[in-house]
This record gives sequence, C-alpha cells and structure tokens, in this order.
Amino acid sequence: MDDFLSRTEAMIAAWHGIAAPNEPARRMAADLASTIAAFEAVRDLPRFEDEPSSFEAALLDAMEQPQ
Amino acid sequence: MTDLADLSLTEAAEAVRTGDATATELLDACLANIDAANPRVNATIWLDREGAAAAARAADAAVRARAPLGPLHGIPLAHKDMYYQAGKPCTCGSALRKDFVPDTTATVIERMSAAGAFTFGGLNMAEFAQNPTGHNAHHGDCHNPWSLPYITGGSSSGSGAGVASRFTYAALGSDTGGSIRLPASACGVTGIKPTQTRVSRAGVMPLSFSHDNVGPLARTARDCARILRVIAGHDERDPTSARVPVPDYEAALDGDLRGLRIGLPTNHFRDDADAEVLEAVERATEILAARGATVQRVALPHMDAVLAYGGIVSRVEGAAIHARWMRDAPQDYAVHLSARLYGGYAIPGAYYVESLSRRGPILKAFAAEVFSKVDVLATPTIRFRLPTLADTDIDRGPPGTEKRFMAVSDYTRPFNYLGLPAVSLPCGFDANGLPIGLQVAGRPFAEARILRAAEAYQRDTDWHRQRPPVLAAA
Repeated sequence: MDDFLSRTEAMIAAWHGIAAPNEPARRMAADLASTIAAFEAVRDLPRFEDEPSSFEAALLDAMEQPQ
Repeated sequence: MTDLADLSLTEAAEAVRTGDATATELLDACLANIDAANPRVNATIWLDREGAAAAARAADAAVRARAPLGPLHGIPLAHKDMYYQAGKPCTCGSALRKDFVPDTTATVIERMSAAGAFTFGGLNMAEFAQNPTGHNAHHGDCHNPWSLPYITGGSSSGSGAGVASRFTYAALGSDTGGSIRLPASACGVTGIKPTQTRVSRAGVMPLSFSHDNVGPLARTARDCARILRVIAGHDERDPTSARVPVPDYEAALDGDLRGLRIGLPTNHFRDDADAEVLEAVERATEILAARGATVQRVALPHMDAVLAYGGIVSRVEGAAIHARWMRDAPQDYAVHLSARLYGGYAIPGAYYVESLSRRGPILKAFAAEVFSKVDVLATPTIRFRLPTLADTDIDRGPPGTEKRFMAVSDYTRPFNYLGLPAVSLPCGFDANGLPIGLQVAGRPFAEARILRAAEAYQRDTDWHRQRPPVLAAA
C-alpha cells in the first residue's frame, strides 16, 4: 500500500475513529497529496496587510453600490 | 392556448391575479406533467396532492374575495428535499434521513408562503447535496429531461429537471459548489446563487457552513428575480444573514445594458473547456453587446489560492457535519458520498483556519482588481459537453471516474469561496442536444446587475422557452 495513503488512513482512524468505507474512498484519500501540493503552492502567497479580517466585512467592502 | 404549465412563474402569477387561471388549474397542469413524465425523469421524492389541492382552493377563494395578493399568490411549487417544513418529510436525498420529519419550517419557505405560494412536493437531489451530477443511490438517479442517459447536474437535480419538465414553476435549490447553477445549466433553466449571506439558511440542511447558499431555479431570470426578492434579507433565525437592504430586482430588468462591462476570463474558466461550450458563451456575449454592453478579456488574480483554499473549506466542513454517521453507519451512504467525505478527515485544522482567514483578503483583492475593469464576468457554467450518468458513476465506474465527476463543478466552485453572486442561464445546445449554460457573476450583492444581464439576454433569445423532449413523449 502507498505509504502516504497508509499514514492517512491511520491518522483518520486515530483522530476520528473512521475507517475507509470503500476503495474509491482510498483513491480519493490518496489524491490528498495533490490537495497538499496545491495548498503548499499558495500558502503565504499572496500576503495581505489586513490579515486577519472578516469575510463578511470583505463582502460589504466590495459590494455593489446603489445604481 | 398555451399549456398552463408552460407559463413562466411571473406569467402564471399574473394569470391567477387577473382571473385568467386558477391556482387549482396551475396545480393540475403541473401534476399532469409529473404523472406523464416523472416515471422517466425521477425528479420527485414525495408529493402532497391532497394538501396542495386544499392550498390551491384556498388561494382561489382569496382571489374571488378580492383579498390582497402576494407576488407569488397561487403558485404551486416543489423544492429540493432539504427545506424543512414542520410535519412534512425531509429526506435530504438520503437513507439516513428517510424518516425525518422536522418540527420547524425554513424561513425561506415561510417567506414564500407569506407571498402566496404553496408547496406540493419534495424534489430529488444528490444525497445530502453532495454531488454535481444527479446520482442518487437511495431514491434513484435523476434523469435529464433533454436526454435521459445524461446527468441533470447536481446537487439540486430534481429542481433543475423538475423546472425544465414543467413539473413546477420554480424550485429552491442550494449551492455549495455549484448545486444551483449546474442543474440549471444541464437542464436548460435559469438559476441564481446569491451572494453569501444574502438569503437565510435557517431550517435548511447544512453541508458547508461557509459555502452554503439558498436560491431559486426557474424558467426565466425574471422569475428568479421575483423569488429572490421574496426570500432575501436578514433573518433573526440566521445571524449570518446580511442586513443589506433588498432591492426590487424586477425593477432593474429594463433590457438596457449600455455601459455594462463584461469580462471574459483568460484563465481558469477556459482551462480544458470544450470548444463548442466556449463558442456558445462568446456568441452570448455578442448578443449582450448588441444591447450596449462592452466585452473585454480579463485575467483573474489569485485563482490558485481560490481553488486550493475553497476545496479545503468545503471538505472539512462537510466531514465535520457527517462525522457521527461516518463512524456509526458508513454503509448507509452511497459509495461516492462516503468516499468523498472520507478524505476531509485528514485535512489539518491549520489548513482549514488558514483557508478561512484568507477568504476575506482574497475577496477584497480579487474584487478590487477585477471589478475596477469589468462589472460582470461571463463564463461557461460547465466546462465540457454534458457527460452521461454512466460516465460519472463513481459507485460502479472504473478508477478515474471520480476525476470526471469532480470536474463537472470546476467553473462554479470558485464563486462559492469568493462568495460572489452568479446566475446560470441557457445559451445553446451541444452536439448531443443537451443544454449549455452561461454563467454571469458579479460583485457582492450585485444580484440586480447580473439578473439584468440575464433577462436582457432572454429578451433576444428563446433557449429558455424550449420544451424538453421528455414532455413530447409523454
């Protein structure tokens, strides 16, 4: 078994008490490697001066002004 | 005479108001189509014929008594089966909630009832609103009324198929990664995902606290505008709902697009797209340009971050909501759903927090850069020719099917993380005769602007008036 997948399954079992329910679940868990890669590629990029900030405040800040 | 079920919602409401039709006649027209075509489409989970008939009679009595009539008076509606109505079933498309009967009613249902509509059924949906295709292992797959082997889009599968099949004048859907826009696109109807926080989620099954949205699917942009005005606005039962005033969306539908700046994204929303889909969208923008809009190419910033962070938020929140059942009864989920949920338990909390904490700054940076150049973005809703149910069946398909399955929502998910409003409307048909959807997105709370563009387009085209073949075969 793929080492990344076996470690992932062990971690989910330890932290959540949940076992892989089927083979597609294992395939999709194995694909978490690409999730990590995508996250690592953007973490710390871009940097923003106003972190932390509220998403709800950002919605209002960027909202459509009355026409 | 036009079949009453072929009327748009606003046309039907006007017919009831003027006495040209009764609510009972509208209900009967919808039920006749359901009886004829639903055995093949499978868009409904339950129907309350007796309760609906009584509600229709009451609505007709109010018209005869010249009582004040709301904007949805006498309109029979069925909704995605995840909107709680006290004393009525609410399966959430699942086996785990097959016997669930809530003791509360969703705020949006209460608001639609107060506007004069009544509910006659619960519509098929992806199990717990968690797939973009319309597969359902417990209630049966929902089939596309334009061609039965093809996906309806999901998760609001019955809402899209039911509106297209003239089973209902409109339907509520929910949209966490595209679940209103995808079935609208695949079934050839119009659907709007409002700005995050625009519509109350009280009494609605949760999937992803940060990305869930409530909105309508209907035949026309005007219908969506009418429903949205009824359901939008702050709700004390949902503290996350915005206190931003709700405009009269229908009043904005004047067909005038002079000065509107349309952006065609040069990145992400062209990646791996089928040429016929891109061509349909570009032809649509030419029609909008003929009404005074200008069209330009625009590069979208931060898309890698939007995609990476957005996927983490949805997966972690969905996993958390389903943790107990995933521990105690994983066999009661369809294979594709438990498979999808499972990976969410391995994503670190630090990733989740970072993804959420950067959402606001990324939105502000995205909006500042994009909306200084254009007012709306125009993209395909689904990037490729519609696949079949078999092509995207994770439960029975070969390894790799999950990638095709997930790709259905590639072009809708970004607007959930960004929280932006987006409407999907029909703009043509692919080589297999299945609808193609145009997605128009705008700034936060710019629903009036994107609905104005959609309605203007529908003045000049008749894609939204086409009847699916399943009705002709009835």
